Amino acid sequence: MMDVRRQDRALLPWQRGVHVYGVRFLSPPFLLFGALTLIGVGLSVLRTFGGLGFTGMSDAYAWGIWKTFNVMTLTALGSGGFAIGIAAWVFKWDRLHLVMRTALLTSFVFYFAGLLALTVDVGRPWNMWHLLFPSHWNPESSLLEVAVCMPLYAVIFLAFENLPPVYERVYVHATDPVRKVMRKIFPLLAKLYPFIVAGAYVLPAMHQSSLGSLLLLAGSKLHPLWQTQLLPLLYVIQAGVAGVACVIITLMAGCLVWKRRLDLGALGDLAKLMSILAFGFLGVRLLDVLVRGEIGRAFSGDLFALLFHVENLSLLGPALILTKAKARKTPRTLFLTAIVVALGAMMYRFVPTTIAFVPGELTVYFPTVVEVLMSAGYVSLTIVMYSVAVKLFAIVPASVEEWYDAVAWARRHFRTLRVDAHGKASRH
Amino acid sequence: MSINRRQALGILAQGASGTAAVCAAGEARAAGQNRPIPDDRDAAAMLYDATICTGCKACVSACAEANDLVPDTVLSGGLWQMPEDLNANTKNIIKLAKGETPNDLSYVKRQCMHCLEPACVSGCPFGALHKIRGDGVVTWEADRCIGCRYCEVACPFNVPKFEWANFNPQIVKCELCAHRLDEGGEPACTEVCPTHAVVFGRRSDLLETARERIAAEPGKYFEDRVYGDKDGGGTQVLYLSAVPFTNLGLPELAEESVAAYGSKVHSILYKWLALPLTLYVLLAAIIKRRWASHEAHAHEESDKTGLPSQI
Repeated sequence: MMDVRRQDRALLPWQRGVHVYGVRFLSPPFLLFGALTLIGVGLSVLRTFGGLGFTGMSDAYAWGIWKTFNVMTLTALGSGGFAIGIAAWVFKWDRLHLVMRTALLTSFVFYFAGLLALTVDVGRPWNMWHLLFPSHWNPESSLLEVAVCMPLYAVIFLAFENLPPVYERVYVHATDPVRKVMRKIFPLLAKLYPFIVAGAYVLPAMHQSSLGSLLLLAGSKLHPLWQTQLLPLLYVIQAGVAGVACVIITLMAGCLVWKRRLDLGALGDLAKLMSILAFGFLGVRLLDVLVRGEIGRAFSGDLFALLFHVENLSLLGPALILTKAKARKTPRTLFLTAIVVALGAMMYRFVPTTIAFVPGELTVYFPTVVEVLMSAGYVSLTIVMYSVAVKLFAIVPASVEEWYDAVAWARRHFRTLRVDAHGKASRH
Repeated sequence: MSINRRQALGILAQGASGTAAVCAAGEARAAGQNRPIPDDRDAAAMLYDATICTGCKACVSACAEANDLVPDTVLSGGLWQMPEDLNANTKNIIKLAKGETPNDLSYVKRQCMHCLEPACVSGCPFGALHKIRGDGVVTWEADRCIGCRYCEVACPFNVPKFEWANFNPQIVKCELCAHRLDEGGEPACTEVCPTHAVVFGRRSDLLETARERIAAEPGKYFEDRVYGDKDGGGTQVLYLSAVPFTNLGLPELAEESVAAYGSKVHSILYKWLALPLTLYVLLAAIIKRRWASHEAHAHEESDKTGLPSQI
C-alpha cells in the first residue's frame, strides 16, 4: 500500500474516513461563523426572557423564517443520511457507504440546529412536557407527528448512527482497561445497529412527509399549484433530492477547502441518485398538477407561475445534464448542478410557507434584523459543528494514503501520543 | 355571583329549553376525538344578519367587558375602543365592508365561526384548542398550548390571535362566552345587540330562522343562502348578507371542511401506526441481512490494509 506514488493519488478512490488534519482550527471563516453562532445563540437566550414581539411575524403570517427556513428548508438539506442510507442499504448501492459518515454528520448538524430554532420559535415552551405523554397527543395533528418524530430521530437515531467515528476516536485515546470494556460493548452495539438504522429511515420518512401534510390544513391559503394531497409524498422525495445535493456540495467544498482529492466515482454515484430522485419528484408533481387540472395556472404568467417553473427547471436541467456519464465525471459540472438542485429543492420547501402562502390579509411578512441574525446563527452553528467534527473524527472520505499521512502528521504534532502505523495511539 | 337585569332577561328569553340544557351536556374528551361534531339540536349558534346591523358596535365593547379584554384604543389615540381588526385584545369586531359600488356597503361582524369540523382543533398538537363541549363551542386551554401558532396558519377565517409581545402569550379568540353559557346565559354580543342583528340559539333553530327570512323576501339576500350552513363543512356562526360574502371577508370554502381535507391523508398513513410499523419491520429485515456481509467486508478490508475497520 505504501508504495503508491503521490501523483497517482488522484486515481485512488475514497476508501475510508480520515479526519481533517494540518489545517488551522481557528481560520478566519471559522471565526466568522463562530461569531455569528455566538450572536445567534446569545439572542436566543435573550429571547427566552421575552415574547416574540421583536419578530416580523404577525397573526396572518404566524410562521417566520425559523420555521419556514431553518426547519422546513434546512432539515430537507439534512436528509442526506436518510436518502443515501436507503439507497446504500436497501438498494444495495454499496459504494455509497463511503460517503455515509459525511451524510450522517450533515444530517445531524442540520437537525440539531433546526430543533434549536423550533424551540426558540415556540411561544409557550414550558408546555412541551406534554410531548412525553402519548395520552396528551392529538393523533390527528401532523404537527404533533413532527414534534414527536423529529427530536426522536435527531437525539437518538441520528446520534447513534454518528457514534462509530466517536467510538473509534475514544478507543484510540483510551487506556487499556477502558479499551477492554469498549471491546465488550462493541458487539452489542453492532447487534443493535441494523435495528436502529431501520428506525432512522422510518422516522424521517414520517416527519419529512408530515412537514408537507402540515400545509394541507392551510387549505385555500396555499396557492393551488402547491396545495395538493400529495404534499407529503412530494415533500419526502424532495427531502431526498435536497439531502443528496447537500452531501455532494459538502464533500466537494470540503475537498476544495482542505485540498483533498475528489473521487469522481463516488460523487458520480451521488449525482446519479440525485438525478433519479429529481426525476421522480418532477414526475409526481407534473402528474399531480395535470390530474388536478391546475396546469393552466402554471402559464398564467404571474409570480406563482414563475416560481413554479423555477422550482421545476432547477431540478430538471441538472437532472438531464447528469444523465450523461461525462457530466458526472466533470467536477465543475457536478458542483454547479448540485448547487442548482439544492437551491431549487430548498425553494420548493420555502415557497409554500411564505410566498405561495396567501392568508388573504393586507399584511406581508418580512423578517426583522434580529430574526435574520438568529436564523443566520443557527445556520452558522451547523457549519461550526461540522468543521469541528471533521477535525476530531474520521468522517470525510479519503484514500488509505491520506490515512497514513494523517497518522504521520499526528505523530509529528502530538509528541505525547505514540501512534503506530495502524493508527492506534497510546500515551507515553 | 350576581345576575344583573340584562342577564336575567336573557335567561328568560331563552326559556327552560334553551342554553341550560345545551351546556349541561357532557365534556368527555375521548382519546383521538378532539372534534366530535355536536348534534345539530345541541350546537350553540349565532345568526348574524348584515342587513339588520346598524354598526353601533355595542357588541364590541360588551365582548371586551365580558371577556376582561383591555380595550384596543390605539387608532383613537387612547380615547376610545377602536380596534382595526380582530387582535389579541379583540375577540369580536364590527367592520364596514366595502364593495365595488357604494351600494355594496355592508357591516360585518367577525369572530370565531365555531366550525363543525375546526381546522385549528385538527392541527393543534396537544389538543389545547378543542371542541369537547356538548354545545360544540371551540375553546382554548392554556395548559396544553405550546404556542406553535399552527391554529393561525390553519384557520380559514384567520380568527385565532397570538400575544406576540407577551412572555406568557395566550391564544385569543371568541369562545362564544362559554363562561356565560355555563351559567345559563348567552354571549355578551347577542345579548347587547339592540336590533337583534345577531341572535343566539340552537344551530338548527337559527338555520330555520334564516331560511324563513330568505323565503319571506326572495332576492334580498345574496344568493338566497345562509353562509355557514355548508361552507367549510358548516359553522356554528351563520351569516345572512345582501352583498357577496367575500366582500365581508368570508372566504369561499368547499363543502368539505379544511380539517377533513387536511387529515384525510394523515389518518390513512397513521391508522394504528400500521404503515410505519410495516415499513420498519421490512427495513429492519433487509438491513439485518445486509449488515452481516457489510461487517464482514469491513473486517476483511481491515485485515488486508492492517488499519482499524470502519463501519
